[in-house]
Amino acid sequence: MSLLEVTEVTKTYGAGRAQVTALDGVSFSLDRGRLLAVLGPSGSGKTTLLSIIAGLLEPSSGQIAIGGTPIHLRSAREAAEFRRTRVGLVFQEYHLIPYLSAIENLLVLCRFAGRVREDDRARAARLLAEFGLAERAGHRPSSLSGGERQRVAIARALMNDPEIMLVDEPTSHLDTDRGRQVIEMLHAHIRGRDMTCVMVTHDPRMAEEADEVIRLVDGRVVRPPQPSSRKPAAM
Amino acid sequence: MLGIWELVGNKLKFGLIAAAIGLIVSLTFIMASMSEGLVTGMTGAARALDADALVFQGDTFLALERSRLTADDIEAVSRTEGVASAYGVGHAFISIDAPDEAFNARAFGLGGRFDQLPIVEGVGTPGPGEAIVDVTAKENGVRLGDTLELTPIGEELVVVGFTEGRRYVMTPGVFVDLPTWERIFAATALGQMRERYTGEAPGADRVVQQIDGSVSVAAVDLEPGTTVEELAADLAPQYDVATPQAAAMASNGMTVMMLAVNGIQGVSLAISALVIGVFFFITTLNKTGQIAALKALGASNGFVYRQLLVQITLLVAVASAIGITITFAMGASMPPAMAFDPQPVRWAVALVSVFAMAYLGSLFSLRSILAIDPATALDRAEH
Repeated sequence: MSLLEVTEVTKTYGAGRAQVTALDGVSFSLDRGRLLAVLGPSGSGKTTLLSIIAGLLEPSSGQIAIGGTPIHLRSAREAAEFRRTRVGLVFQEYHLIPYLSAIENLLVLCRFAGRVREDDRARAARLLAEFGLAERAGHRPSSLSGGERQRVAIARALMNDPEIMLVDEPTSHLDTDRGRQVIEMLHAHIRGRDMTCVMVTHDPRMAEEADEVIRLVDGRVVRPPQPSSRKPAAM
Repeated sequence: MLGIWELVGNKLKFGLIAAAIGLIVSLTFIMASMSEGLVTGMTGAARALDADALVFQGDTFLALERSRLTADDIEAVSRTEGVASAYGVGHAFISIDAPDEAFNARAFGLGGRFDQLPIVEGVGTPGPGEAIVDVTAKENGVRLGDTLELTPIGEELVVVGFTEGRRYVMTPGVFVDLPTWERIFAATALGQMRERYTGEAPGADRVVQQIDGSVSVAAVDLEPGTTVEELAADLAPQYDVATPQAAAMASNGMTVMMLAVNGIQGVSLAISALVIGVFFFITTLNKTGQIAALKALGASNGFVYRQLLVQITLLVAVASAIGITITFAMGASMPPAMAFDPQPVRWAVALVSVFAMAYLGSLFSLRSILAIDPATALDRAEH
């Protein structure tokens, strides 16, 4: 069974003549361990789709299920709990907390839950090391490069061992080489942990790193899910 | 706690906020101290009288200046059921030709009980012709051992001690024994008569006779279980009764003055609350994106609000320490005559009010936190 199932999801804003359709009957599914790239021009509905999968927005119609469990129609508290425990979110703007060190940024999810245990610290340190940031663990975001911040943001998303990673334009602030490195790291971790990832990007070169690609135009899927040209990476 | 990390990580920003709130807190404390100082300056000598109740001549509306009780009155009061003991307190207007500057004062004759005066310098019990003076008289050059000339009556008093917090209608209290007070009071009354008549004023002997043994009010200690109201009911209707505190606040326009003072304090507290609330509201608005990201990552509104409350508590605590320091520094630099009297109870009330107002002001921020859509953490510019 697919981990992620998106069925006839529609999202409209406004009403009457002012109504805007951001998503129009989007459907796809994604298996465990797969990385899906969602390509599309600006305004095509990519971020809306990501927000709905993350439980940040309610679809106007349609269904989203993760592991067979519908994730829409939740209360705000349940949605927050869902994101904290089952979703790894990576923002285009990183959204690292500026006054926290890299390792404390990873531990922030534990702080939501109330306490930070020693094994949480060990896990955060291990993740940073896996992303080549062991030496930068005590540094604040302002003293990290763009690539380092992005890697910290991805490591933070992995901290709660999510079932699904949702990544928004992970390479928009990086040059091609650094962007490719970040995607490769991300991909390796997804495979290694048997999790699923939806990555929104406008960059077709980054989409080449994905297992599957869909293209959104005006809120519709114009290219059904298909294997990308990329070979599965060995861990 | 994330809120504490944020404070530590932004020392300059939050330091400035704490300093600004500290100034506001100091304003609140200074207002409270000046209000208390005003009350002490206006009523200190009367409301601090060591007694459960003061008995006034009837229909004098609890005015120390107008009340007159004879020796028989004091005797009658002493014999009233529920009265453990009573002593006379005399009041008189006086003017003093001080070394630096002549000033008006109020003479209080105490029928014993001089131990009720907090002595800051000198001795605590004056003999005939001696006085214990409120320390604010030092502003006029009065020193221990000085002989003060009371004008225009020509009486003299030797300063044997200084007390504090014993002013009346913003003039220093001068405490003497009852025989000395009686002499001053009679001389004042006769002096006024002499100003109107040449030679010996008619009826002067009768005036002196009437003053003999009289006082202004009777200060009463009640038997345990007896209330002021019961004493008032037991006494004949030609007397009025009140606690020293109530009596002090009932005369010299204190009721209206307290309305004004409390109004000023209320307004300053309200403005403080608004400013403190706005401070935290602005800091919340400034980190809308960060809060949206935290919520998107799974932080509840409660978690975000708790961080704000932690910050408010710590910042207001630091600001209070700053405010108290500023207030003490300002108080220390003020002359004794200045109406400034820091009272722990009033400060505690002001402090609790500042915290309460800060938490109340945080509700603006809570509203803002609740309104922040976590979806905005993701780029939604495309639609």
